[in-house]
Amino acid sequence: MTRNAKILLVDDDRDIRDSLRIILEKNGYTVKTAGNGREAVACLKSEMPDLMILDIMMATDTEGFDLAFELKNSAGFENLPIIILTSFLEKVRDEGPDKFQHILGEEWPAKWLFEKPVDSKKLLDKINGILAGN
Amino acid sequence: MTLKNGNMSLQNLPEEIHKRKRVIIGELRERTLWFIRLRWWVPPSLVAGATVARMVGVEFSAGALVLVAALILLYNAAFQMLSRELEKELDWRTDYVQRFTYWQVGLDYAAMFLLIHFTGGAASPFIFFFIFHIIFASILLKPRSAYGFAALAAVGMVIISVAEYAGWLSYHGIVFRGSALRLNERPFHILANLGFFTMSVFITAFSTTAIMAMLRKRIVSLAELSETLTMLNNKLNSLYVVTQAILSSQHLDQTLNIVTTELARVMNVVGVSVKLLSEDGKQLRYAAAHGLPEQLIKEKVVDIAKSPLNRRIIEGESYITGHVTQREMFQFGEDLAAAHIQSVLFVPLKVEDKVNGILGAYCKLPDRFKDDEVNFFLLAAGLVAIAIENTRAYESIGQLMQDRSWFMMRVAHNLRAPLAAIISILDVVRSGYQGALNTEQDEYLRRVDRRAHTMLEIINELMTLATERTDKRRVSRGPVDITLLTRRIRRTFQDEATKKGVGFQVCLPDGIPNIWGDFEMVEQMLENLVSNAIKYTPSGGNVSVVFSRGNNGTVRIEISDNGIGIPKTALPNLFTEFFRAENARAIEEHGTGLGLAIVKEIVDQHGGRILVESEEGLGTIFVVHLPVAHKEEPS
Repeated sequence: MTRNAKILLVDDDRDIRDSLRIILEKNGYTVKTAGNGREAVACLKSEMPDLMILDIMMATDTEGFDLAFELKNSAGFENLPIIILTSFLEKVRDEGPDKFQHILGEEWPAKWLFEKPVDSKKLLDKINGILAGN
Repeated sequence: MTLKNGNMSLQNLPEEIHKRKRVIIGELRERTLWFIRLRWWVPPSLVAGATVARMVGVEFSAGALVLVAALILLYNAAFQMLSRELEKELDWRTDYVQRFTYWQVGLDYAAMFLLIHFTGGAASPFIFFFIFHIIFASILLKPRSAYGFAALAAVGMVIISVAEYAGWLSYHGIVFRGSALRLNERPFHILANLGFFTMSVFITAFSTTAIMAMLRKRIVSLAELSETLTMLNNKLNSLYVVTQAILSSQHLDQTLNIVTTELARVMNVVGVSVKLLSEDGKQLRYAAAHGLPEQLIKEKVVDIAKSPLNRRIIEGESYITGHVTQREMFQFGEDLAAAHIQSVLFVPLKVEDKVNGILGAYCKLPDRFKDDEVNFFLLAAGLVAIAIENTRAYESIGQLMQDRSWFMMRVAHNLRAPLAAIISILDVVRSGYQGALNTEQDEYLRRVDRRAHTMLEIINELMTLATERTDKRRVSRGPVDITLLTRRIRRTFQDEATKKGVGFQVCLPDGIPNIWGDFEMVEQMLENLVSNAIKYTPSGGNVSVVFSRGNNGTVRIEISDNGIGIPKTALPNLFTEFFRAENARAIEEHGTGLGLAIVKEIVDQHGGRILVESEEGLGTIFVVHLPVAHKEEPS
């Protein structure tokens, strides 16, 4: 199941998008990318991925969060695993766990949150773990 | 006797008056008891006097005298008993003491008339003793009682004299060597004698009551003076409470709540409010209030154009008093009237001649505020204005700090985002996903990667410094479990030390108390120090961390190594941002120079101390003192 799994990668930074896509593809995943929340929604509607990697700060500071929150409250998407990326960990901490708890569950922030630059080995381990059902 | 007062303030302090009444009644009581003690001397003196008179040959009805002495003895014993009973009661009532005195004087009068009758009537030498009773009566009783007793003495004497003259009463004269003073046979002498006697008793009554009236007036004015002093002292205390509230670093809301409550208490008014002027100077909002209707404070904003009283203060009047009946002067007169408020006092809250609000007092009595209260309120307003100004200054500094913190975060994010992209792309290339690299290419890309990571570290550490300095609220203090702390430090560094061939021990003796602070910050501080120690200690060396109990309620942590040491010239700048010693550069080229600055910042924020001792080539010892968590705090 983990190989050939479909991953939707959402980040407004093209360089991050490209480099992560290459790493994920070389590791056997099928990757679709989106540069903002709107594109991400379009992708989600056309094809449901197995996992989503989502940057928080895009056009707005919370675009990623808003999207994640919406998905967790929409029928058909509530069980979609979402890995959160951020290059602004302080802000995520500042806004407080309260805001994210209901999106990410008890495991916030250590388990589902990655700070950029992402350690690709750890990210791959995490994706494998999630898709294997751990 | 009651303290007569037309003064409102006296009624405000019933206990004070009560105390004073007790002092005055206490005096009355003392005199009463003294009177009883004095009376014990009368019967023996009478008997002794009679005996002596007999011995020198005076003839008179000695038996009757002895009987009267016995009578006096009897009723004085009764008084004595009664007073013993009364003494147990601490709180004598005035009317009770007075009645007691009436009885005493009354019975004394009866005894006196008997004595006088048995010793020659109008010619008796005892008639002068009436004078004493009249003096006592005027001291102890109301002035008219003194006159009453004087009149009674005069009338009694007239009755005895007439009765003896007319023969209705038998005459008992005094005879000395055969000659008797028979006044009952000489009407003119009786008349003259009684006339002078009556004059004497009335003059005595008049002069003693006049003196007493003067004394009482003095007592009342003293009481009033002490009243005023108490009030002043109260107000002074109140100003002290207000000042204290202002000086303690509370939020403005809290301070103003304390101030309004305290002012309402000391001024004895139903309400006190603080209203602040809006930026445009057109409205007043309630910043705090005590005793006013909740809904008035929360929902209503005073429009200065509609409230002439408030407007006059804003326009510079030093104070205003007003009646709620002048409804046109108030915007919310109906609300105030509904709360039974009748009069108000408004004074400006002024800083450097600029009015920025109004302090108001509200009273249920009409026309309540007098000059001294206005003056006091003006003083209080001065303090409140300072409090408001201080808080505003403090808040604007806080806002500035927050802005700075926010700006730093933005900068950090904007620096980190491109760096993250660079590192991410490097990761792709170096991992060989885009084709294999030759050794030289790989080496250069490794250097690029390392420099990029150093830069990332600098940004992160700058962020740490910036947030720790500006945003202290994030520090969550509590007892730091040092057992857990040492375990984590051991786990973090054991492998690294072993790999480098450096000995590493963490020593935590039993009974070391927990530290009071933020676990993550204390851990980061220790990590920075231990990581430096391992980094700058060559293979074969040793690094140890030792916990112990410090002086003055601290935990002492010693981090020592036998590494390269710190040059003497470098010691003064050791904790400065971006400073790196020469010999450290030789070991690690691209350090950030922020590690020790962060250590210092954390120690300072915990109210701790850090000391360093080092000898180049021999090693370094850092000693950190951090405060102990108090025992009662849960660990």
